[in-house]
Amino acid sequence: MVSPCVLKSSGAGVQTLETEVLIIGGGVTGAGIMRDLALRGIQTLLVDKQDLCAGASGGNHGLLHSGGRYVSNDQHAAIECRIENEILKRLAPQCVEETGGLFVAVKGDDMAFADTFPGLCQTAGIQVEELSPAEALAVEPHLSKDLIKAYRVPDATIDPFRLALENVAHARAFNDSVYQPHTQIVGFITKNGLITEAVCRNNKTNATIHIRAKQFVNAGGAWAMNIAQLAGCTDVHLSYSKGTLLISHDRMADHVVNRLRPPADGDILVPGGTVSVLGTTSIRTEELDSVIPTVAEIDRNVIEGSAMIPALATARYIRAFSRVRPLLQGAGAGDDREATRGFALLNHTTQGLENFCTITGGKLTTFRQMAQKTSDLVATRMGNTTGCQTKTIPLPKDDACRWTEPGAAPRYWYKENNPEDMILCECEMVPQSAIDEIIKCAPDTDEEMTLEAIALRSRAGKGPCQGSFCGIRIASYLYDCGYYQDETGLIHMKDFFNERFKGMRTVIWGQQAAQMELAEALHCGLLGLDTLDND
Amino acid sequence: MIEEARYFETELAVIGSGIAGCAASIFALNKKITTAQVGNTGAVAYTTGYLDLLGKLEGDKGAIDNPWDAITALKDRCPDHPLNGISAADIRAAFNEFTAFLGECGIAYSSPGDSNITALSPAGTLKKTLCVPATMAAGPKAFAAKTACVIVDFKGLKGFSGKQVVANLHKQWPTLKAERIVFPEMLSGEIYPEVMARALEVEKTREALAESIKAVAGNAKVIGLPAVLGMHNPDFIKTELERLTGFEIFEIPTMPPSVPGIRLRELFEQVFPEKGIILIPQQKVSSLTFDDDSATLSLTDNHGPITIKAKAVILATGRFLSGGLEAHITGINESLLNLPVTQPAKRDDWYFEQYTDSRGHAIHKAGIEIDDSFRPIGEDGRPYHERLFAAGIILAHQDWIRSRSGAGIAIATAYKAVEAVDNFLHA
Amino acid sequence: MSDQKTTTLNFKELAMELLPEGASFEACLTCGLCSSGCPASGLENMDPRKFIRMALLGMDEELSTTPWIWCCTQCKRCQHVCPMNIDISQLVFIARGNWPQEKKPSGIVRSCELIRSTDSTSAMGLPPEDFIFVVDDVLKEVRETQTGFEKLEAPMDKPGTHFFVNQNSREPMSEPDEMVPLWKIFDMVGADWTYSSKGWAAENFCMFSGDDDAWYKVIKTRVDAVNKLGCKVWLNTECGHSYYTMWNGIHKFNMDVNFKLESLVTYYAQWIREGKLPVNSDWNVNNIKFTVQDPCMIVRKAYGDSIADDMRFVVKKLVGEENFIDMQPNRSANYCCGGGGGFLQAGMTDHRRAYGKRKFDQIAATKAAYVLTPCHNCHSQMEDIGHFYGGDYGVVHFWTLICLSLGILGENERTYLGPDLLALLD
Repeated sequence: MVSPCVLKSSGAGVQTLETEVLIIGGGVTGAGIMRDLALRGIQTLLVDKQDLCAGASGGNHGLLHSGGRYVSNDQHAAIECRIENEILKRLAPQCVEETGGLFVAVKGDDMAFADTFPGLCQTAGIQVEELSPAEALAVEPHLSKDLIKAYRVPDATIDPFRLALENVAHARAFNDSVYQPHTQIVGFITKNGLITEAVCRNNKTNATIHIRAKQFVNAGGAWAMNIAQLAGCTDVHLSYSKGTLLISHDRMADHVVNRLRPPADGDILVPGGTVSVLGTTSIRTEELDSVIPTVAEIDRNVIEGSAMIPALATARYIRAFSRVRPLLQGAGAGDDREATRGFALLNHTTQGLENFCTITGGKLTTFRQMAQKTSDLVATRMGNTTGCQTKTIPLPKDDACRWTEPGAAPRYWYKENNPEDMILCECEMVPQSAIDEIIKCAPDTDEEMTLEAIALRSRAGKGPCQGSFCGIRIASYLYDCGYYQDETGLIHMKDFFNERFKGMRTVIWGQQAAQMELAEALHCGLLGLDTLDND
Repeated sequence: MIEEARYFETELAVIGSGIAGCAASIFALNKKITTAQVGNTGAVAYTTGYLDLLGKLEGDKGAIDNPWDAITALKDRCPDHPLNGISAADIRAAFNEFTAFLGECGIAYSSPGDSNITALSPAGTLKKTLCVPATMAAGPKAFAAKTACVIVDFKGLKGFSGKQVVANLHKQWPTLKAERIVFPEMLSGEIYPEVMARALEVEKTREALAESIKAVAGNAKVIGLPAVLGMHNPDFIKTELERLTGFEIFEIPTMPPSVPGIRLRELFEQVFPEKGIILIPQQKVSSLTFDDDSATLSLTDNHGPITIKAKAVILATGRFLSGGLEAHITGINESLLNLPVTQPAKRDDWYFEQYTDSRGHAIHKAGIEIDDSFRPIGEDGRPYHERLFAAGIILAHQDWIRSRSGAGIAIATAYKAVEAVDNFLHA
Repeated sequence: MSDQKTTTLNFKELAMELLPEGASFEACLTCGLCSSGCPASGLENMDPRKFIRMALLGMDEELSTTPWIWCCTQCKRCQHVCPMNIDISQLVFIARGNWPQEKKPSGIVRSCELIRSTDSTSAMGLPPEDFIFVVDDVLKEVRETQTGFEKLEAPMDKPGTHFFVNQNSREPMSEPDEMVPLWKIFDMVGADWTYSSKGWAAENFCMFSGDDDAWYKVIKTRVDAVNKLGCKVWLNTECGHSYYTMWNGIHKFNMDVNFKLESLVTYYAQWIREGKLPVNSDWNVNNIKFTVQDPCMIVRKAYGDSIADDMRFVVKKLVGEENFIDMQPNRSANYCCGGGGGFLQAGMTDHRRAYGKRKFDQIAATKAAYVLTPCHNCHSQMEDIGHFYGGDYGVVHFWTLICLSLGILGENERTYLGPDLLALLD
C-alpha cells in the first residue's frame, strides 16, 4: 500500500493494490464509510474518479438541516435530520457553524401553509420559535420588508469539504486506510458470486490498477447505478435532478434563510463563512458528468431569492455551480424535491453477489447514518462485531484539513504574524505555509497536486478574483519550490482557470465583468494560456 | 463655506485616461489642439509595457509573425473590425508618434517593425508584440540568439519565479538559468516591484544590486529581471545598471501590481500638464451634454465641482474594467451617454463554455458603433453628435485580449479620431 | 496598562454604509495596486488590501485592535491609485476613534487634550495670553534690531481684516523668530491681516485620534474666532493638516461658514505673479538644488494638483528653474512622508522610520540639497529620516527662502539653512 503522506510515483504498467474493503466514491458518504469501518478496525481503500466531494457532496448549500425543511412532506426524513443535526453539532463542531435557521413567508405566500409549520415541527421534535417580523428584521436586517411570518429552527451550516477531508484523515490516522483520487472503476472481476478485483483506470496517467478486496462498497452517488451495472447489478434505479446554486461575494444573512412554502426554486439562502449560497433550481436531467449552470437557472434563483432578501437582486455574485442529485426511482410523482430524500442500501444478493453493496440517495445531513447502515452490512459480512462508533467518538481535527474553513487561514496567519509567510491567495488570505501543509499532508496520494486539488483543500481561489491572481502566484511558488518542474505547471494553471470559470460563466455581470476582463487580459493576453497545446 | 467652481475651456476634451485617451492627447498636442483630459486612471496601471498591434487572429491558435499581413486578413475575417478602415501607413505613423513621445519623456520604445517581436512573459511563455520598451528589448534578442542568460528573481517577490521561466523555456533556451537574490536593504517580508523600482532610482541601491547580480551571474552574458528598473527614468536606470554590472540587462513584465503600467501612468500625469494639457486624473465625468457650439463636461473632485467646455469630445472610456461599458444582468450599456451597444442577443451568449476557448468570447466584441469619421452612432442610427468622437477598446467588433491588439486599437483609433477632430475644428 | 477592551466594529457594514456604491469594499478587484504604493505596507504585517479583505472576511476583532491603523497616515494614496476608487482611510479613522482612549497612542491623545485645554486650540497648550506676549515680544525685538522693519506689524484680534492667519504652535512655543519671515512677507505685499488670540493655532490632533466630537469642537472654536473678527479669508499657514481638518471638518459637520478657506501657498504664487513679491533666483549662484514635498493634506486630499503647481511655480522662481528637481512621484500621486496622521506623535518611531524610508529614497534620488515643504509635520519627519538614514539634505520653509531671495532674512531666522546657504548670506 502507498503511504498516504508520501508522494510516490505510480509507475507504468499494471499495478495491483490490496485492501480489506474498497469504497468507490469520495463523497461524504464514502468518506464516512471509510471512517466508520476504520473505527471498527477494518482497513479500506477509498477511490474517486475525480477527487473528494466532486459530485453532489461538494455541490450543495452546505446546509445542516434541522429537519424543518421536511416537516410538511416527510416526517420521517425530518426526524432523521433532527437526530443527525444534533450528533454532528456535538461530534464534528469544526465542520459546523451553528447559525440557526429562519423560515420566512412574504406577502403573497400561502398563509395556511405557514400556519401549520410550528405544529409539524413539534411533531418531529424540532425546536421552533416564532419571531415577529420586527424581531426577524432585527436579527436579519436584509430580510424583505414584506415579511409576514418568521420561525426560528436549529438549522446550521456544514462544510462538506472539511467533513470529507476530516473523515478521510481520521481513517488514515486510525488504521492506515488510504484515499486515492483520480481512480475510476472500469470493471469488476467476479468469481463464484464474489467480486475479486475491481479494475480501475488512473484518470491522470491512464495507468490500469487492479484492486483486490474482500468487500466492495459502491458509494457512487449519482453514478451508483452505472457502477452497479459494471458489476452486472440491475437493481439500482436512479433518475437524476440537476440543481443550480450561486454564491454571493458577501455574506448576505447570518442565519440559514428558508422560504416558508412548499419547496421551490431559489428558496434557501445559506451563509457559507464569508459568502452566501443561494439556490436551488431543480430540473430532470440525463447528463451526469458535465452539468453546468445556465443563465436561466441563475436568473430564476436571483429573482426568487430577492423576494426573501431584496439585496440579492443587486449583490455581487462570484460563482455558480450545478450538481446532479440521484433520485431513487419509484419514489412518487410530483416535484423532484419531494419524497425522494430517503436513501437506499442495496445488498445485491438477489443479483448473485455476496460482497458488494450500493448506498445512494440521501442528503448531506444524514451522511453519517448512511455510512453507519452501510458499514453495519459490510462488518456483518466480514464477521466483525465491533459496532458503530461514529455516534459517540468525536471527529478529530486534523491540521492539514483546517484550510477549507472560511476565515481560518487569515486568522491563523494573523496570529502567527510571520512576515516571511506570505499570502498567496490575497482574497481568502491563504498563506504559503497552508499550501506547504496541504501539499505535504492533506489526504491525496498524487505525485503532483494540481492547483484544483490545492484549491479543493483550501480556500484558495474562492474569493472575488476566483483564483485569477492566486493561480499565478501559487503556481509560481510551486515552481519555485521545485514542485512543478516543467510545462505541466502551465497546464495546471490553465486547467485551474478553466475549472474556476465554469462556475463564473453565468454570473459575470457588474463588478465581476471588470474582474474577468482583467483576468483574461492576464491569462490570455500576457501569459497566452489560450494557445497552450494540451487539448 | 464660500467655494469657487473651476471652469476650463478647450478645443478638445478627452474622456478616459487609458492608452487610447493618452494617445489622443498626445496626437492632439502634436496638432496644437488645446486639450483637457479627464478620467479614471486606474486601469492603465495594469498594462505590461508591451505595445501589441496584432498578435493572434481570433479563432486561430497560432501566433502572428507579420501583423501587417494579418491586418489584411482581418478584413475578411472580421469585416467590421475598427482597424480595418485604417491604412497601414496611418497605423505605423500613429505608433511612431506615440512611441517617439514616450521616448522623449524617458521611456524609449523600439520602433514599429515589419514583423512582431517574440517577447517573454513571467510564466516563461512567449508573446507576440510590435514594440517593446528599451528596458525589455534585450530579452527577445537574447531569446532569439539563445545567449547565456540568468533570470534573477528576488526573495519576497510573489508571483515571479525565475525557476518557472526557466522550467518553461529551457528546451528552447538551454543556456537559461535562474538565481535568487535579496534586494538591497529589503531583507525580510513581502516586497513589491513598485517599491524596488523606486528604490533603484537611488544610486546606492543600484550599486548594491549590481554587486548582488554580479555574484550570481556566472558565465551569463545577459541578465533578466522582473520589471523593476526604476519608475520615472527607466532607460537611465537600465543603462546605469548595465554599466555597473557589465551585463546587458532586460526586464520581464510581472503580474499586477506591476511597474510598467504605473510608469506610464506617472509619466502621463507628469508630462501632460507640463505640455499644457489640462489633466484631471482619477475623476470620472458625471455628465456630458452638447449644445450648438460646444460640449460641456461636469465632474467633481475632492475640492468641488469642475466644468469643462470643449468644441469636441473624444470618448475613450474603455470597457468594463475602466467603466466605459457596464455589464448588467439584463445586458450591456455604455455608461456616460447611454449610447447603443452592439452586443450578443442574450447573456447566455456572452461567453463560451470553455474559458480558454481559442475563438474568444462574444462579450469582448460588444461595444459602440462609429461612422467613418469615428463619431459614435446614436439610437437613430446617425452620429450621436457632430462634436462627439470615440476611440479605443470601447469600439465594437474587436477582441483586444484574444487578438493581442489592445495598444494597436487604442493608438490607431485615437490617431484617426484626433485627425477627425482636427478636420472638424478646422473645416 | 489599561484593561479596557476595544469594542469590535463591523467593518464590512461600516464600509457599505459610508462608501459610495461601486467604490465600497466589495468592489475590490484584489489587484494590490493600493498595497504596492502604500508606505505602510508590511508594517504590523498589514497593508491596505489586507485591510479590505479582512473586513470582508469578518476579521473585525483583528481590525479593531491592530496597531496598524496608527501607522496608516490616512494619506489616501491607496484610493488615488485604485481603479475602483475605494477609500480605506475613512474606516481607519473610525477604527482609531474606536480605540479606548487609554490605549490610543498617548502622544496623540495628549496633544488633543492640550488643544482643548485653552481657547488657543494649540497642541502645545500655549494659552492666548502667552501667544499675545510672544508675538508682541518678537515684534518689538525685530522693530528694534532690523533695519527697514521699524514699523513691522503683527496685528492681533484686529476686526474686519481680509486675512485671518493661523499659526503653527511650534513657532511661538519653541522657535519664535521663525514667525518673522512671514510677517515681513505680509508687510511687503501690504496684506490686510490679523492673528487672533483665540483659535489661532494650526494643529488638530483630535482629528488624528479619530475623535469626531473633539474635532468638531476644535473647528468650532476656530470658525467662531474667524466669524467674530469678521475676516473674509481664513489663511492657512505652511501646515498641511490644519487646512484639511478645517476644510474637511466644515463639510463633515455641515457648518455654516461665511468666509473662504485659502492656503498661503496660493497667495505666495499670486503675489509673485502680481509682482508684489519680487523674488528671483539670482542669489543661487552655486546652483544649489531644491526639491519639494507635496503635503498630502493640501494636495491629494484637498486642492488636487492646482496647489502643487502653485508650489512649483513659487519654488522655480525662488531657486531657478534649472535648480528645481521634482521628486517622483509628485503632486497628487505623491507619497506621504510618514509625518502625517499623528505618526510623529504616536511614539512608534521604528515603524515611522520604516515608513519614511521610501520618502528618504525619493529625496535621495533627486540629489537635492534642500527639500521645501509647506507643512510642519512633513518638515519634522523629513529632517528625522534624513538624520536617521544618513541623508545630507536640509528641510526649509517657503517663508525662509522667500525672505532669503528678497534679501530680508534676519540673522535669527536662519535655523534651517545649511552652511552652503549661510555662506551666501555672509
